[in-house]
Amino acid sequence: MKQPYKTINRYSKWQYLVIIFTIAILSLNALPNWFGEKAALHVQSSAPNTTKLDNANLFNLLTEQGIAVEQIEQQNKQSIILLKDETQQQKARNSLDALLGEQYSVAMAMESASPSWLKKLGAKPVKLGLDLRGGVQFVMQVDTDAALHEREVKIEKDIKQLLREFKAHGARIGTVKDGSMVLRYPEHIQAKISLVMQELSTLYPQLSQHKNNNQQITIATNEQFAQTYHQELMSQNIKTMRDRIEALGITEAVVQRQGSHFIRIELPGVQDPSQARRIIGATASLDFHQLQSVGGHLYKSNSGEMVRLATSAIMSGTHITDARAQFGEMGQPEVFITLDSAGGKLMSDFTKDNIGQPMATLFSEYQQNEQGVLQKNSKVISVATIQAHLGSRFTITGMESLKATQELAMLLKAGSLTAPVTIVEERTLGPSLGEQNITNGMAAIMLGLSMMLVFMALWYRKLGLIANVALLLNLICLLGLLSLVPGAVLTLPGIAGFVLTIGMAVDTNVLIFERIKEELKRGKSTALAIHHGYKNALSTIMDANITSLIIAIILFSVGYGPIKGFAITLGFGILTSMFTGIYVSRALVNIFINKPSKQVKSSQLIKQVSV
Amino acid sequence: MKTNKSGFTLARYIGLYCSIVIVLLSLLVMQFKGFNFAVDFTGGVITEIQTSQPVRQQQLQEALEHVIEQPFSLTNVGNDSQWSIRQAISGDKMPETSLLMNDVNESFSIKVLSASVIGPQVGDELFEAGGLAILASLIAMMIYLSLRFEWRLASGAVAALFHDIIIVLGVFSWLQIEFDLTVLAALLAVIGYSLNDSIVISDRIREMLSSNTKGSLNTIINSAIRSTLTRTLITSGTTLGTVSAIWLLAGQPLQGFSIALFVGIVVGTFSSVCLSVTIPERLNLKREHYQVPEKT
Repeated sequence: MKQPYKTINRYSKWQYLVIIFTIAILSLNALPNWFGEKAALHVQSSAPNTTKLDNANLFNLLTEQGIAVEQIEQQNKQSIILLKDETQQQKARNSLDALLGEQYSVAMAMESASPSWLKKLGAKPVKLGLDLRGGVQFVMQVDTDAALHEREVKIEKDIKQLLREFKAHGARIGTVKDGSMVLRYPEHIQAKISLVMQELSTLYPQLSQHKNNNQQITIATNEQFAQTYHQELMSQNIKTMRDRIEALGITEAVVQRQGSHFIRIELPGVQDPSQARRIIGATASLDFHQLQSVGGHLYKSNSGEMVRLATSAIMSGTHITDARAQFGEMGQPEVFITLDSAGGKLMSDFTKDNIGQPMATLFSEYQQNEQGVLQKNSKVISVATIQAHLGSRFTITGMESLKATQELAMLLKAGSLTAPVTIVEERTLGPSLGEQNITNGMAAIMLGLSMMLVFMALWYRKLGLIANVALLLNLICLLGLLSLVPGAVLTLPGIAGFVLTIGMAVDTNVLIFERIKEELKRGKSTALAIHHGYKNALSTIMDANITSLIIAIILFSVGYGPIKGFAITLGFGILTSMFTGIYVSRALVNIFINKPSKQVKSSQLIKQVSV
Repeated sequence: MKTNKSGFTLARYIGLYCSIVIVLLSLLVMQFKGFNFAVDFTGGVITEIQTSQPVRQQQLQEALEHVIEQPFSLTNVGNDSQWSIRQAISGDKMPETSLLMNDVNESFSIKVLSASVIGPQVGDELFEAGGLAILASLIAMMIYLSLRFEWRLASGAVAALFHDIIIVLGVFSWLQIEFDLTVLAALLAVIGYSLNDSIVISDRIREMLSSNTKGSLNTIINSAIRSTLTRTLITSGTTLGTVSAIWLLAGQPLQGFSIALFVGIVVGTFSSVCLSVTIPERLNLKREHYQVPEKT
């Protein structure tokens, strides 16, 4: 019996090395969770030529405000302020922001509280979801249908314009319905119409034209274009939201797409949603208009007077590729705008003939009124005299303050986004609720874990102890993996996933041990029983774990927020429990139960494993 | 096929018929009572508050009625000092309840812990996504099963799966327990658990059939159940233990989640023994179906 003994129940040295190495790496990554996180502020000068901040000065400023500072350290050009009290983070940020003025940016963040050697290794604690940390969550709806409709109306206008240009008298364009419109015309102007259509297809290559008969053409936006347009709007909007939130000074915000029309925004640490709501809730669009003395539309300007503008714009904000706030030659704040080539051409064509004439910048914002209905509020933000022949780069002046200029620049950058965005969901979770959730979740883990440890030790004795070691290693590995993988977030359902993993990990060992007992009852030797127990249970374990893994993957791809957190812990938990339950427990069994030098008689093991 | 019915076989068949009755009852209950969907799905406003000292529900209800105009429901979340106020959307307007809490003039003060406003549009899409997730999981499971097992054994596991899901849904409908997003996640986890149990037994039957174990199909099935019974009971027992830990300690946000899992595991254990192998037997599972060429 000694021959199969050594060959069947031994791992080679490299296998033990792999196990030790994996566990060491994952435990090291799990370690920072022991130390936790501290609320912090990142202070950085936003302009290059401002004076460097003195950390002692920062400390005094904050202490005067009654904010307890633990430590301030300098990292590159950033001052990182660790706060004693997490609940003071928002207050500290707001007062520093006000005290330091506009030349510095103050951002809220969480800093690992682990010792510096651990930080240097790059190990970080697991990210906590909003339900465990507190914060504000928004879900925004992007009304791409409205944007698409607006575009169709624009096409209709362009067709009318073309019909006038080509003098196609008598032609009539119907209104847009379900993405298509019908052009009717008398038969004798067919030649002119085909020229118009040719021009139209160069302007809008995505439009399909269908000639119904000699007097009628149907023009339609094709379905595929509508799809891509929708996708582009969504991703552009997500980007805009990211930019806007960056301006809010929240470094760990989550902005992600939810379903087809929604964007989910999580702002950890924020307690007052009103400021965030104002910034992210607006949709801005910008148009450049010519001034008129009669007709047109009346708009209110920044200075309060009424300005009469031409109905159609010279150029819309969709041509803006970049907008930046800067100081002009006279020291006044201004926005520097860069246009794309089409926009540059439009601007150039217009300004060439209109030097000395005034041009107005009309800023429109979609906002919800009290009834929850979207309204387009427009105001003239600047009226400037065209000094020179403008190209694709120019500046706008006339804002109230630097802050207003910065906000405008930020909003202009998103000028190409004209889809109305509304907040359809808003949740505020107080930090005390998050703390309570963590305490409750930990209590559940502790109770579940201790029940399991006691049961396994009593039921399987020596094998049970091995299973318990494997179980504890499994939890450490899972925590390490969650901390290691970027994007993994621990949520309250995620903690539930942890507890379920405990059950699942134990199942793996139960399957194996029951098999071993069966084999022993059949009269096999300890070594053979262990060998066959592991071997025979393997396919069942695989079947069971693979099906659970499929579920976790589906849950991950469909769910978001807390549910995604559950899917992540469940999925990773399956992986780590397979590793520890099969591989590590086998190694332990090989070392401790199956020692060739200290052979356990099969009869003894039966006694040990069957109560 | 069923020669000498042992007590085990009898129990399985009684279980099978009971299951059919319970599934039908669950479907009826769902049809007539529907679900108590949470704000996650229907849209509305939830405000969670903490009172400075424990208060009676009646007292708080009256105090709040003075400041909140729209109808609301008040539930105790913990220790008589944590409460949740739920409101449906009335018309287009969202009630701004969290702002009103300072106006409550009583012997206690109120602190707002969380305030959630969820528009109805979000719920509609969640609904679709949730349904899609369940459907996708069921299809994925069926594909996996059909690859791993012969169709008779596979359909037994699938039947057990549907049985478990329907009964969990039935319980939620019958007791009108709030159905939120975490319950949906729990349902998917139940799908996984239900399969685990069925797979363990089916695996054993397959193994016995292909290794030419002697005896009728009935004896094989019974001995497969018997040999996996300890495992089934230990695993179900320990998992129920951990789920109870969540139920007891993890607090109100995970109540629905743990109830769904608890029911799912109990029902899943039952169905894996009674349904997942009895149905293949009724479908005429034969030894020949697993006479795979001997491995060398």
